[in-house]
Amino acid sequence: MKPMLSLTGIHKRFGARCILDNVDVHLAPGQCQVLTGRNGAGKTTLLKIIAGLERPEAAQVAIDGNERGWRRARSALRRDVVYLHQYAYMFDASVEYNVGYGLRAARLPPSQRRARVAEALERIDLLHLAGANARTLSGGERQRVALARAWALQPRVMLLDEPTANMDRESREQTWFLLRRLKSDELCVVVATHDGHAIATLPDIELHLDNGNLFPHAVDTHSHRPTPGPVATGSAAGPRLEERG
Amino acid sequence: MHELWQASQHAMVLLFTGNRDLWEIIGISFSVSLKAIVIATPAAFAAAFVLAYTRFRGRGVVMSIMNTSLSLPAVVVGLTLYLLLSRSGPFGDLRLLFTQTAMTIGQVILAFPLVFVMSHSAIQSGQRAAWETALTLGASPIRAVLTVLYEVRFGLIAAVIAGFGRIVAEVGSSMMVGGNIAHFTRNIPTAIALETSKGEFAQGIALGFVLLVLAFGLNIGLSLMQRKGGVAA
Repeated sequence: MKPMLSLTGIHKRFGARCILDNVDVHLAPGQCQVLTGRNGAGKTTLLKIIAGLERPEAAQVAIDGNERGWRRARSALRRDVVYLHQYAYMFDASVEYNVGYGLRAARLPPSQRRARVAEALERIDLLHLAGANARTLSGGERQRVALARAWALQPRVMLLDEPTANMDRESREQTWFLLRRLKSDELCVVVATHDGHAIATLPDIELHLDNGNLFPHAVDTHSHRPTPGPVATGSAAGPRLEERG
Repeated sequence: MHELWQASQHAMVLLFTGNRDLWEIIGISFSVSLKAIVIATPAAFAAAFVLAYTRFRGRGVVMSIMNTSLSLPAVVVGLTLYLLLSRSGPFGDLRLLFTQTAMTIGQVILAFPLVFVMSHSAIQSGQRAAWETALTLGASPIRAVLTVLYEVRFGLIAAVIAGFGRIVAEVGSSMMVGGNIAHFTRNIPTAIALETSKGEFAQGIALGFVLLVLAFGLNIGLSLMQRKGGVAA
């Protein structure tokens, strides 16, 4: 599968500490990648770099095969990639406003915007809360609204940073169920998580971040169990998907 | 005590019968201070945002200067401006000394640090996730800045109220660069100082009453905003 987005040679340091050391990421449409790693391993930093929210010290970015400098790539990344925080941030306004925020920024006509917002809220079964202040929602509901808000923009890549952290079992299952429901052939999803259920059922690829390096594990699509992939220090690539066929 | 009571009664008569001189002084005060706060606020918000969201060499020094400026005496600002705007000063040709413009400049200098420090604190207390969420949802940097400012709007309004409260009651700068000229640069604090020195307490008390009511109103507004800000966060 040809990657639509590749970031190669990613370097990131915080002071003297090297967080990402020559890491490669390749994202292809319709793919689901799960990113694991201990706390502080750099998962959030990596996701924010992919989303164009954090600037790396070095990285080559190729979008649909076209290489770009960081400045041009950043605006393209912010257009095509949506990053969802561990604790979904809700603007101090209604659920409807929150879901329509990105559509308003994209200057979608109001009638189309309203229709898209309604469709997104329907998908997460929260249409009845459209007028409620988003700050009054529970953690699980907030995460669902954040998913709908991202989905409404029809991004090419969705990055979820520990989306089920501190959720009860029911909310966790609901979040994973919704994620499967929102997945499409065009959308690539990357999930940073420690949730064993998600790791066992979601990914086409499992990536493990450790000591600044990304280790790939191809996943058997039938059993959804990670199979020991070729461990390559500092790189994890989409082409490995092709290796597993 | 009797004299004070009589002066107070006279003050209320002046105030509520629409004494022209008195209301002109109040008008000048509000006009100058409102202009100053309108000029200082956008600049203070922009500077506060930059300092809250960017890292650069000398950032700590800028913060220290701003924090020190909080206690900048109005009379020192007045003296410095006087020297700059007087005929022999570098900006003497502008002929701004003893004008409302000079008073406004002085009040901008006094309001800026307070609005800056309070709005910086409000912006920094807001979550960085608001900025990142706005950007990742495709907002332009300007739209994202406005979104973040809206999210901490109660803290920002509190900063503006506090800044206005500081400048509307200051006497040092207005007296020195305004000159307390009747019908032109005489505002509430300078008029109170003048009337008191003349032993004419009625007008001074009436103007003092206006300032007290204003301070009371601003304080109520400030606590309401701070309470709302606490709830919103």
